[in-house]
Amino acid sequence: MPDARFPVETASGVPVVVTPEEIDITNAAGLREALGDAAGRGPGGFVVDMSRTRFCDTAGLHALVGAHKRAGAEGGGMRLVITGPAVARIFAITGLDGVIPHFASLGEALATASGGTESS
Amino acid sequence: MTTVRPASVEARLRDIQSITDAALSRLDDRDLLAELLDRTREVLQADTAAVLLLDFSSGQLIATAAAGLEEEVRQGVRIPVGHGFAGRIAAGHRPVVLDRVDHTTVMNPILWSKGIRSMAGVPMVAGGRVIGVLHVGSLTPRRFTAGDVELLQLAGDRAAAAVQSMAATADRVAVDALQRSLVPSALPAVAGADMATRYIPGSGAVGGDWYDVFTLPAGQVCVTVGDVAGSGLAAAVIMGRMRSTLRAYALETADPAEVLGRLDRKMQHFEPDALATVGYAVLEPGLDRMHVALAGHFPPVIARPGRPAELADIQSGALIGITPDTRRPVTTVPVPPGALLGFFTDGLVERPGEVIDEGLGRLCRAVTAQSPEMACAAVMGALVGNEPARDDIALLMIRRHAGREAGADA
Repeated sequence: MPDARFPVETASGVPVVVTPEEIDITNAAGLREALGDAAGRGPGGFVVDMSRTRFCDTAGLHALVGAHKRAGAEGGGMRLVITGPAVARIFAITGLDGVIPHFASLGEALATASGGTESS
Repeated sequence: MTTVRPASVEARLRDIQSITDAALSRLDDRDLLAELLDRTREVLQADTAAVLLLDFSSGQLIATAAAGLEEEVRQGVRIPVGHGFAGRIAAGHRPVVLDRVDHTTVMNPILWSKGIRSMAGVPMVAGGRVIGVLHVGSLTPRRFTAGDVELLQLAGDRAAAAVQSMAATADRVAVDALQRSLVPSALPAVAGADMATRYIPGSGAVGGDWYDVFTLPAGQVCVTVGDVAGSGLAAAVIMGRMRSTLRAYALETADPAEVLGRLDRKMQHFEPDALATVGYAVLEPGLDRMHVALAGHFPPVIARPGRPAELADIQSGALIGITPDTRRPVTTVPVPPGALLGFFTDGLVERPGEVIDEGLGRLCRAVTAQSPEMACAAVMGALVGNEPARDDIALLMIRRHAGREAGADA
């Protein structure tokens, strides 16, 4: 069962994982499950909407990176929506901003996801 | 073919009691497993009882404990999941009863050559997955009943719990030993600099943080610090490999980005599931400057005499284990006499419910250009205090001497 705090919704036919305010070692396993669930819904990739998230520690980043690697290997792609400065900051510190495609709004992420292109 | 002992309700309760006896819990896990096998053999009136544990890396079941036919364990019998009697139980997640034991039904020749005629086995399940198989065998032909299999499954569940507990303890002991052997026991003597370190294994899932410091033949000082994703023995083993790989590549090239690039290629080829952050710094022989490349790791904190400490302004490249053939930026940081550099892992600065900049800010406020030992003490006091460490913490401070006694060629 995916963690209740990580609902997988669907927007414009694309699975969207909505992350909570805080992601850390206590709920990273739930995130990993939800990401696996979203990835399993089809080959077209999925979106992780982190616009509500104000804190994400390395356990959360590892879950995201693992899902990004698997999504890349299986053809689909994972796209992030990052709006908060705190999440943007941790992505910059870890160099992940140059690795995982990310967008400033859900609309942009969805447009790219359904278009199926690999650019960010 | 006989059905042994059509048990009365009383006898059956006694059998269940024997296997689920709370007194068993007072034994340590290994003794518990041995006692449980003896009791299982007794209540089922079987001649042998054995536990095979699944080795997840090879996908084989390995004979681990036995009562009656100890050769299985002594010879290290291995059965691939999906094959033979035990392999079918593990693959199918359900009990199997055999009325005919020969090379067509059982892979392990010890069982049929010793004259085992009938067998029953159950999966041992922990945390929703099969971790092994418990089976019993009889030297006389018989049919194990559904009731026998139920009792056997009770014993299997009990054994699974004992094995889980044993594995957790063994893992913890091995990780501690590994971490002690991997964190350098003595820091190298470097003319013109002092160093100090702290290493605190996390309270829950211990894992893969490390630091290392060593000198190169041309006189440079290399500092590496890193954090392998995951926890437990698996992460600690990968951490050990990465640390020695970095030492090997450090001898081959002075370019930090090249060292990290080679490390990344090696990891992605041989450990494709591994993820890690690494910071790699090379201090020139005179200690005037430091060349740094980061793979998703925090930059070091730098305290120059008379100025507030700050995070060194270094752009990070990708983590180890994600993208093929990426080149990470190399930043050159001037290190004035008297300056203190601090390398650390996330456990030092991350707190639940807190933006990372708060932890980084606390770190910068705690660091001043003083002796590395005092600086370590100040940082640990300010950032850890009396809290048990949730995550591993590694901290390495290195300070260039102030004044004329500074570098070798100052």
